[in-house]
Amino acid sequence: MTDDMLAALVRPDKVHKRVYTDPAIFDLEMERIFGQAWIYVGHASQVPKPGDYWTALIGREPVVMVRDRDGAIRVLYNRCPHKGAKLVADGCGHAGPLFRCPYHAWTFTLDGRLRGVPFRQGYADTGFSLDDPEFSMRPVARVAERRGFVFCSLAEDGPGLEDYLGGALASIDNFADRAPEGEVEVAGGVMRVMQQSNWKIFFENLNDTGHPQATHESSFAAARRTVREKLGGKTPFQLHIIEGNGEPNSFWESLELRCYDHGHSYMDAIFNAPTDAISLEYRDQLVAAHGAERAQAILSMNRHNTIIYPSCSPHTGFQQLRVIRPVSIDRTLVEIFTFRLKGTSDAFFQRTISYTNIVNSPSSTVMVDDVEVYRRCQEGMASDGGDWISQHRMAGHDTPFEGGVLGAGISEVPMRNQFRAWSAYMGPANIGKAAA
Amino acid sequence: MIADPLLTHAAADYLFREAELLDGRRWEEWDALFAEDGMYWVPLRHDQQDPFNHASLFYEDAILRDVRRRRLEEKHAWSQQPVTRTAHIVGNVRIVAQDGAGLRVRSAFQITEWRQGRDQRQLAGHYTHDLVGAGPDDWRIALKRVDLINCDGIQDPYEVFL
Repeated sequence: MTDDMLAALVRPDKVHKRVYTDPAIFDLEMERIFGQAWIYVGHASQVPKPGDYWTALIGREPVVMVRDRDGAIRVLYNRCPHKGAKLVADGCGHAGPLFRCPYHAWTFTLDGRLRGVPFRQGYADTGFSLDDPEFSMRPVARVAERRGFVFCSLAEDGPGLEDYLGGALASIDNFADRAPEGEVEVAGGVMRVMQQSNWKIFFENLNDTGHPQATHESSFAAARRTVREKLGGKTPFQLHIIEGNGEPNSFWESLELRCYDHGHSYMDAIFNAPTDAISLEYRDQLVAAHGAERAQAILSMNRHNTIIYPSCSPHTGFQQLRVIRPVSIDRTLVEIFTFRLKGTSDAFFQRTISYTNIVNSPSSTVMVDDVEVYRRCQEGMASDGGDWISQHRMAGHDTPFEGGVLGAGISEVPMRNQFRAWSAYMGPANIGKAAA
Repeated sequence: MIADPLLTHAAADYLFREAELLDGRRWEEWDALFAEDGMYWVPLRHDQQDPFNHASLFYEDAILRDVRRRRLEEKHAWSQQPVTRTAHIVGNVRIVAQDGAGLRVRSAFQITEWRQGRDQRQLAGHYTHDLVGAGPDDWRIALKRVDLINCDGIQDPYEVFL
């Protein structure tokens, strides 16, 4: 595919279906987007002690995030330089003081440097050297951490993490600021859902204010019937979070969609802070830690999904993080993590657990319909019924500002903004430079 | 412990009857098997100790079960077009604890699940039923725990009760 052909696939108000269906484009995305951008790896709390590790997929590259003996977090390719074996099994674990390859027992310090090999005499006069980086685990080009959230970039050059995140950085800071102790930790397990659709479809749905009423009718209608027929009209918390999708047009039109360079955006919260006893106790803890004014400022930054393009989406209100791992042109793995705000009660954390069970889990009565429509998009796009995907809703009405564009409630501006970044990444002139 | 064979037989019959209701999509009758405060729980991890401080695939009380069963009947439940069909096989039924209030029954299950146009999938694992009530005629489920062998694996969506 020539660069001109690639550029012609994205227009200001529509995109060609090939960006979702052509495996050659997926290959290019892995190289030009996932090989360049800052990609979420994991959270520091997943590797509390030296030798603890957590594996992740950065594009197609299996990496291991490990806590070194000096406390620093390293991100290394999970590959033995001898025969290429993955050094640690997928998931989390403890390597001990050294990585040890299961195949021929080459060992590496926690920063990836080759420490020793068996049969040393066999390597005499062969050109092999313990000090040659060719025989060490390769570190990724760049690693950066913000409030415990670890990102890496496979490219040497490009903006730093904070410049890259722009206005989305505040969502990460706010996530941690919401903890009375100023720190969060991964807790409560990880859910993994495989979606039969392209990764971009998931991202486009996150801040798509036009879909909840249509897609999620089955769950909010069922919840409303339960409230009416079984609960005398009173809506408990667990049904409130399902019913949120059933708000009228005027509600969705009133939201703000703020988009930043590099494809990021957020949508205003659709839930106000609850005022039950547990929530009020939490508010008191935050006030005790930060003072009333600061606590109010922290809680008033109330964002629903934030898109950190192209790898994750924090939800600060209920302490969730969804991590998106493209597998192939029509397969996407979504990992759902829950976080504890340090300094809060078990009862407060249990609301986070409830939200993930009810709204984000593979058995959610809400998300199953999302996954279904993603699949239908993928299947329909592959057909000969048409070539273009419309992103016309409020096109031409976006308001640029320094570092991004602003759209009103039902605008498809988050999708257009993602493709602005996509084009910049995929354009050959920008190889080696991250996209604005 | 070797339980009274007749009681074991009655417990097995109860589980077979439950499986029949699930396979028949007879959700309301199935839900009526539960005690008023009965819980339906599918843990996310092997040997999970509690449903409160760790996420679960399902942890549903009467209210959430009511929403799920109603959603399955909704006209615009897109992911139920067409509906999920299942066949349950329940075996190895054994009473593992018994006292005046009721009994705990362990069993193994296999579920074949299919939607038209989708791959057929096999689910397997163990059930633990805590039944309350004086005898088979008034047993109610206080807790149904479903331990899938792949509970912590990569999942396709779950829509119906397992």
